[in-house]
Amino acid sequence: MQIIESITNKEKPLDHKSTIQKICFDKLKVTPLPNKKNEIWRMASKTKLASFLNYKLSDDFHDPVIPYDTANQDFLRIIIGEHQNINYIDENYEIKILEEEEIVNLIKEKIIDCDTTTNWSNLLNHCLTKKRNILGLNISGQKIPYIEIISNSKYDLFSSKTLIINIDKDTNADITQINLGDENSALSASSYLFIGKNSSVNHGIVSYGEKKSYIINSLNVFQDKDSEYNLGSLQFKFNFARLEIDVNQTEGNAKTKIKGMQITKDNEQISTYAKIKFNGPNGYLDQLNKSLAKDRSHSVFEGLIIVPQIAQKTDASQLSRNLLLSNHARIDTKPQLEIIADDVKCMHGATISQLNENELFYMRSRGLTQEQASKLQLRSYYQEIISFLPISKERWDLLSLLLQNQ
Amino acid sequence: MQSKKKMKKPLLEITDLFASTDNLPILKGVNIQINSGEIHAIMGRNGCGKSTLSKIIAGHPSYEITSGAIKLSGTDIEDLEPEERAQAGIFLGFQYPIEIPGVSNLEFLRVATNARRKFLQKDELDTFEFEDLVKEKLDIVKMEPTFLTRSINQGFSGGEKKRNEILQMALLEPKIAILDETDSGLDIDALRIVASGIKKIANTNSGIILITHYQRLLDEIKPDFVHVMANGKIIKTGDSELALELEKNGYDWTDEFINQD
Repeated sequence: MQIIESITNKEKPLDHKSTIQKICFDKLKVTPLPNKKNEIWRMASKTKLASFLNYKLSDDFHDPVIPYDTANQDFLRIIIGEHQNINYIDENYEIKILEEEEIVNLIKEKIIDCDTTTNWSNLLNHCLTKKRNILGLNISGQKIPYIEIISNSKYDLFSSKTLIINIDKDTNADITQINLGDENSALSASSYLFIGKNSSVNHGIVSYGEKKSYIINSLNVFQDKDSEYNLGSLQFKFNFARLEIDVNQTEGNAKTKIKGMQITKDNEQISTYAKIKFNGPNGYLDQLNKSLAKDRSHSVFEGLIIVPQIAQKTDASQLSRNLLLSNHARIDTKPQLEIIADDVKCMHGATISQLNENELFYMRSRGLTQEQASKLQLRSYYQEIISFLPISKERWDLLSLLLQNQ
Repeated sequence: MQSKKKMKKPLLEITDLFASTDNLPILKGVNIQINSGEIHAIMGRNGCGKSTLSKIIAGHPSYEITSGAIKLSGTDIEDLEPEERAQAGIFLGFQYPIEIPGVSNLEFLRVATNARRKFLQKDELDTFEFEDLVKEKLDIVKMEPTFLTRSINQGFSGGEKKRNEILQMALLEPKIAILDETDSGLDIDALRIVASGIKKIANTNSGIILITHYQRLLDEIKPDFVHVMANGKIIKTGDSELALELEKNGYDWTDEFINQD
């Protein structure tokens, strides 16, 4: 595993310059690999994790192959690693780059609190990401153009990208992250969103891979009170993909809605781990995770809602709905609650089913073939998630098409 | 000399049909023959096998035909898939039309219409051509064009769902339409709209089977034949007067056929 060797090799230590990198390196050199006994790594394929780590680290910028028309420029597209001058100031809003010191101030305490058991993915990312592949943004105001941020990997290489976004108070923003996994490559992506008081963020994460592509993607969200955070996520076509979502309502009194979907085929393994913590009263969560597993693939969802004593009047729901399309595919799902507060409304649930026979028969009785009916049915399954992504109609159609061809 | 009508093959001919689900016999020897231009009503108590018969004709995979034959225009169809039967001209109007969230009604109707047109060796319709056609048919069931942009039956009232079924029937122009309790859950106005739609679509080249419990649909659409089902078979056939008798006397007299195999 080339990546681990580069961390543990005392003779050729990585060129660690930043404060953050040093903290992470010190933690990882003691425990370089995640512990399989830990709940969030228990289901992970050891072989696939080893493959993920067995690429040569690259800091260079590689043009991503974007699978849709890029001519439309009525929004802001940023490719992490590409040198771009990002300072947009309008009468209604401001988008500017965060300086290194500002980034350290935002995440240093969070990183110090990280441990290799539950935050291995973040630590690995920060240990490996060089300055040019770290993007920090400060966003404030209203009527902000849609922002698309791309992270990509390159054939035969390991790429590591970090995104830190600070959303000022009273700000509304639509941001979609596109993670593109090139064929036979690995991508580590870590993101931080700090959402200020009375702000609202519609956030999309689309992870779209190619043959033999690997990704570990961790997302850390901190919501101030009276903020609203909506996340739509979609993961597909990766041989191995993990999305680790960690949302923290720092003072409660905030709203979080999450709708995610993962599609697996062949022998792919795609997982979502979601931890939502309420650190104050009157928090709200509505989470739905869907998965669809074909062939011999494996889909995993583990969710955890944490409601401490302080988080009275929390209203939280976490559902996992799964479609198993092959007798050889496997779905593991485990939504969990950890509740200390006594005046809360929390629910969780999981279903695993196959395509609805009644719906299929209804469509077939109108002359649609089984294949046409299944495709329409699957589209309806996707639609709830895709329509939650903050993306334009053109991209919505394209995603729909990509999914149809899965 | 036999008339031409008599020489013509029946549109639908069901002979000694036995069928079961999960090894439980449901149909126990159904015989029925429907000719072009005829409207037949099938009546009977709940659980007598009416809806099962309709599903079996349409090819529902949960039921197994153990013996007997179903012929459409003289061709055996019991081995055909549901979509092949639909393309060949069988239409089943569902008692409880299925809601399919996320699938546009318009797109579904277009794909279905083109599947039927392909079978009839007619040109398939593109989106614009289909929109023109469907708008013309909407008038038959007094539906607003906004119904087309919604998901299939999602959020539709009971009456809207049934009208959507009749719209599909109008678009697909089936040889045989089986309408399973199309009148259930409809208020008087909705019933009249649905019945009027069925009458507009009915023609001399097709046949209709109305499955119903009540006379009120048959007040609007007068059947040529009324069949009474009990215990998985047709126990009596008559004209529209039979339905009036049932309305008056109920189904108690059919009890003697239950458990009589």
